[in-house]
Amino acid sequence: MKPKHVLMLLCLLALKGFVWTQTTPKEKRKVTAAKHVAGSFHATVFLRKHCLACHGKGNESGELRLDTLSMDFQSPRVVSTWTEVLGAVNGHEMPPSDQPQPPPGDVARFVQWLESEIARSELLRRSSRVVLRRINRAEYDNTIRDLIGVDLSLSSFFPEDTSAGGFDNVGDALTMSPLQMELYYTAAREILDHALIDADWIDGRLSYPAPPKQIRWRFEPEENTEGMDKHRVSRGGQIMLLNRGDNAVENGFTRIHHDAWNRWLGIRPFEVPEQGEYLVRVRAAGRVPTRADVVESARGLLEERHRLASDEEASSSGYAKDWISEQLDHFATDGIYDYGPPRMKISLALGGAPSDSTEFDVDALELEPKIYEWPVHFAKAQADVRLTYAYSVPGMDENFWMRERDEFARPELLIDWIELEGPVYSDWPPASHTNLLFQSQQANPTVRDYARDVLERFMFRAYRRPVAPEEIDKKLVLFDKARRDEASFIEAIKVPFAAVLSSPNFLYLVESVASESVASEAAALESVASQASGRRLTDYELASRLSYFLWSSMPDEELFDTVAKDSFKDPEIMMAQVSRMLADSKSDALVKNFAGQWLGLREIGSNPPVESLYPKYDRHLEISMVKETESFFAEFLRHDLDARLLIKSDFVTINQRLARFYGIEGVVGDEFRRVQVPPDSHRGGLITQASIHCITSNGTRTSPVKRGVWISKTLLGTDPGLPVANVGEIPTKVPGIDKATVRQRLAIHREHHSCARCHDKIDPLGIALENFNACGEWREFEGVGRSGRVEPGTPRIDVTATMPDGDRFVGVDGLQSRLIKNDEPFLHALASQMATYALGRRLGISDRAFVRELVREMKDNGYTLRSLIEAIVSSKTFASK
Amino acid sequence: MSGKRIDICEPGYLSRRTLLRGSGAAISLPLLDAMFPRKLFGSPSTFTPYDRSRVIPKPRVVFCYVPNGVNIHQWVPAETGSDFSLSKTLVTLQEFRNDFTVISGLGHPNCAGGHSGADTWLTGADLSSMPGKDYANTQSIDQRIADQIGSQTRFPSLQISDGSGTGSALHSHTLSFDRNGIPLPAENRPRRLFDRLFVPAHRSSRRAAQRRFEEKRSILDDVASEANALSRKLGPADRTKLNEYLASVRETERRVQRQAEWIDVPKPKVSDQGLLLNSRPGNAQDRSSWIDVMLEITYLAFVTDMTRVVTFQWSREAGGFGPGGENHHEYSHHGGDEGMLEKLAGIDRAFLQRLGYFLSLLQGTDEGGRSVLDHTMVVYGSGMNSGDRGEHSPKNLPLLVAGGSAWGLKHGQHLSHDPEDHPPLANLLLTVAQKMGVHTDEFQDATGTLAGLA
Repeated sequence: MKPKHVLMLLCLLALKGFVWTQTTPKEKRKVTAAKHVAGSFHATVFLRKHCLACHGKGNESGELRLDTLSMDFQSPRVVSTWTEVLGAVNGHEMPPSDQPQPPPGDVARFVQWLESEIARSELLRRSSRVVLRRINRAEYDNTIRDLIGVDLSLSSFFPEDTSAGGFDNVGDALTMSPLQMELYYTAAREILDHALIDADWIDGRLSYPAPPKQIRWRFEPEENTEGMDKHRVSRGGQIMLLNRGDNAVENGFTRIHHDAWNRWLGIRPFEVPEQGEYLVRVRAAGRVPTRADVVESARGLLEERHRLASDEEASSSGYAKDWISEQLDHFATDGIYDYGPPRMKISLALGGAPSDSTEFDVDALELEPKIYEWPVHFAKAQADVRLTYAYSVPGMDENFWMRERDEFARPELLIDWIELEGPVYSDWPPASHTNLLFQSQQANPTVRDYARDVLERFMFRAYRRPVAPEEIDKKLVLFDKARRDEASFIEAIKVPFAAVLSSPNFLYLVESVASESVASEAAALESVASQASGRRLTDYELASRLSYFLWSSMPDEELFDTVAKDSFKDPEIMMAQVSRMLADSKSDALVKNFAGQWLGLREIGSNPPVESLYPKYDRHLEISMVKETESFFAEFLRHDLDARLLIKSDFVTINQRLARFYGIEGVVGDEFRRVQVPPDSHRGGLITQASIHCITSNGTRTSPVKRGVWISKTLLGTDPGLPVANVGEIPTKVPGIDKATVRQRLAIHREHHSCARCHDKIDPLGIALENFNACGEWREFEGVGRSGRVEPGTPRIDVTATMPDGDRFVGVDGLQSRLIKNDEPFLHALASQMATYALGRRLGISDRAFVRELVREMKDNGYTLRSLIEAIVSSKTFASK
Repeated sequence: MSGKRIDICEPGYLSRRTLLRGSGAAISLPLLDAMFPRKLFGSPSTFTPYDRSRVIPKPRVVFCYVPNGVNIHQWVPAETGSDFSLSKTLVTLQEFRNDFTVISGLGHPNCAGGHSGADTWLTGADLSSMPGKDYANTQSIDQRIADQIGSQTRFPSLQISDGSGTGSALHSHTLSFDRNGIPLPAENRPRRLFDRLFVPAHRSSRRAAQRRFEEKRSILDDVASEANALSRKLGPADRTKLNEYLASVRETERRVQRQAEWIDVPKPKVSDQGLLLNSRPGNAQDRSSWIDVMLEITYLAFVTDMTRVVTFQWSREAGGFGPGGENHHEYSHHGGDEGMLEKLAGIDRAFLQRLGYFLSLLQGTDEGGRSVLDHTMVVYGSGMNSGDRGEHSPKNLPLLVAGGSAWGLKHGQHLSHDPEDHPPLANLLLTVAQKMGVHTDEFQDATGTLAGLA
């Protein structure tokens, strides 16, 4: 690790090169060594000629000394510094533009040499290998869903998974701790308690108790409205409170006008007789006032207010009329009164703690009410079910006092009745039970034979590979022990089941070095050594990689069957499986987990736009924003669109809520669909989506820096990183900076060389998006003050941007054109992100050729996401340990 | 929205019948991801502390970490020794002037500080010391302490943070690292932490509980032997990964053993009255109520002797919010701008107000004739210093130690050191460990205990 002086490198590297090449075959050795020496000699000359004047002795720009920088590429720290050098030279940042430029041929040679050095060190350190991957939280939930058939989302109780390289499925970053071990075990017990019903082994078969008694309780909010006991109702021998709030009753409906402490409907406290899946049903409809209704109701309220506020004489004056018509102008023109259907939230609390909730548009008309049905799990605990109004009318200066007056026209909820029914199950015993404890094929098996059968099938699916008889024996020991302790069959079989669900073979995607045929330990160790270069995965291992890539879950029966029939080796059959899997709705996991992390959608809501400045931002909008971007990505995946159109498309994927927000007409309903937009709409493409604008803002205002960084990282594949710890001299105070606009502040900031180095490339990208405010609305002017209104005389936002390469562009459209014009960085960014996610490891310099190959495949195949996915899964990298 | 969904179109035992009955087809609704109210509007705490603690006094310690450094100009007092005036920021703790010591000039000589400060604050490790590895940490002082005295309480230690889990290397969400340098995940939901501490696990009989421990032990045995067998088939990197699993199983076995020992000791009855257990750290508006409720739970855990060691990262590095929901990280890159420095100092003072609130809980509770504060050491600080111009330096870290006077800590003073020539921060950690009853003279690069503190 001692630093070696660059001028002494020649002989040292020659020696080192010789040592490195010792292990290569004889005939190759000479050539490699010679090439290596020639490369490093050239590099030394290059450095001396173009770098050391500033990065040498006595003149240490940015404190980086290249003459004393070690060339020991075994050290991660050294490699990371050289990687920075590589980036600076590659990106034409260095040498600086005011210095003599090296001929392009020399640069290429230097870059090539450095790249191969770094790649070699990665391969030697094996940092380019996939490290044993623990299944992460999303993968755990999906795997349990597919393995057992219960969907409990228990992983929300697990600690968050660590991400690396932008994704939380990277093996070497995912850790294990005693707390997690404890939680895996607890989750396993809970899952099994849910999945399996009571049963005992009688006369060579399992015998079951009768199905549980089901309840069906219906509540009419207006029932029992008289007397002292008017809130008490009785169901199933329990007395409970039926709260109908201070809501009016009309035509048999309870009408909810707005959300307030006294306006919800609910039933509490009660306890269901059996735990299980229940249906909460609500028969409901909605009323949606027209714009004319809004204006009329506002007029009435304004006149009333004015009458009350002033004496008779003043109310008839011209001033009053002016004031009212000025106020009415707001109600007649503001887009927030183009109402959508009312929205309802149902929440369930169990044992006093919030347990689950759902939220939905009530799109039924008064004459045709619909039944809305919510499947939800009830435990045997004190329950509280509550219905609330969830449509938000943004609070403005003009309406804040009348929004909650019943006379004011806003979407209203009409509720007929509420029903609770369950536990529901399609079969008895339920499928989750027979999935695990199936009907035995043997005639009159012993209990132990049956347990073995059951375990064999379960372990095969849980370990995602055939299991050896000894492995089953070990689990049977647990079963036997429990039986000896007088446990019932069910209780006894849960013990080995729980062990399987806590075992390393289940919790990790195991890809052993030794192939399965290796018998002795000695042979295994030998094969460890010989297979250092990465063996081909077994078909079972490959099937797991594939299913965790496309589904974030385990392989299904068909995929296992394909492997078992040994037909997975046929590339065509494998591609047929890929097509089938992408068509399956389980591939929603790819959209959610890949696109969600690549684009940063998980950040939504962590620093939301503040209410006073962005009153239109509400819960429904927040959910819709995330869904817009997810559906947008899904549209490309499902319809094989050209992935470059992710940058700029002539369509958006929105629901009614977003259409109202974006000002796009003719979209009715809460589901997301593709909608064509005109070229001048400024919508269409990732960087026009509100989700992206929100996560790159600070709650109160936009952050062009964050936006620029987001574009660099996500769309261009270069991570500018955090500001360097010691960037050098920053003046202590810049006069007038506190009064400057965002754009001016950034310009002042960039006057300092150390800041400008990165920010010259970052800021212009963000500035081009300044027409979108912190919640994604289009704007021409930047509002100021408490409520963020635009004052007269405010200058138009300047969205012209100039990059260090001299390219000038204007606004989001200009930025989109720039990104499309040179689509190479975007394609590389997309390909390397997808590859990172697919492999579950960070990519290094040694993977550059692989990524280039992926991009080439995309180009040859219409730039589709499918072609990228196919190129990844058919690559040697994907199929190798 | 959610993966949790039951397909009701599947003709069910019950649902088929009911589907036919309705006037229109029923519409199935998805579950929402978010199960909790989004806003609590930063409501103030109505928690009432106890008059007296319920246990025999023993040494305890809580390590409180704030990220992004502080405005060091307004933090460090001008004078040193015991005759000093509190700085503009520290004057927030005026009420406790004689119950804490300000320590300036310290740092971990091995550490890079900056936003990796939380990774090393309690370990002092050189993270890149292991050849061929990008990152290697070592045991943190709280875990060293827990190893020694943890078995005396139901929980050897607690980890609290605003980010659930461990965070990532160099951006840790936890301050605690076990014997092998593996980060220990932190809890960020008050409700879950409270339940873990105070809500009885099973109402089942002693016999049933014992059987369950027995069963758990045999399962852990089984998976450990499975892991050992698996390990032989793995390559070196995978084997290292699997070692984390094995170490976790072994530790869980120890814990089960301990739980079995605690089987006859009921959890203390603690009411959740006044605790805002639904506060969420990811919610800017909830920030200060979330810090308060976590401090209140820490207080409750101490006065019921559920644990004596707590690490609490108030907010994550390079992100997170100030106590008023501010963008804390942005201000740490102040570049010397006075407006930004002032805002940073505002955050520092607001954090110290929360600390002051915690100290008042400890001080207001009697424990054997002294206050709980006298028996509890509170170490508060950051792993970086945003310096004169936002330079994220690992030197001259903001630090203070409060309480613990019953164990000999001296307070009401400013211990000043030369930032370029100072004893390692590990000396302070060693001092605390010794006061906690750890019999050792060694921790990381410590050269001894910190002069003047005890």
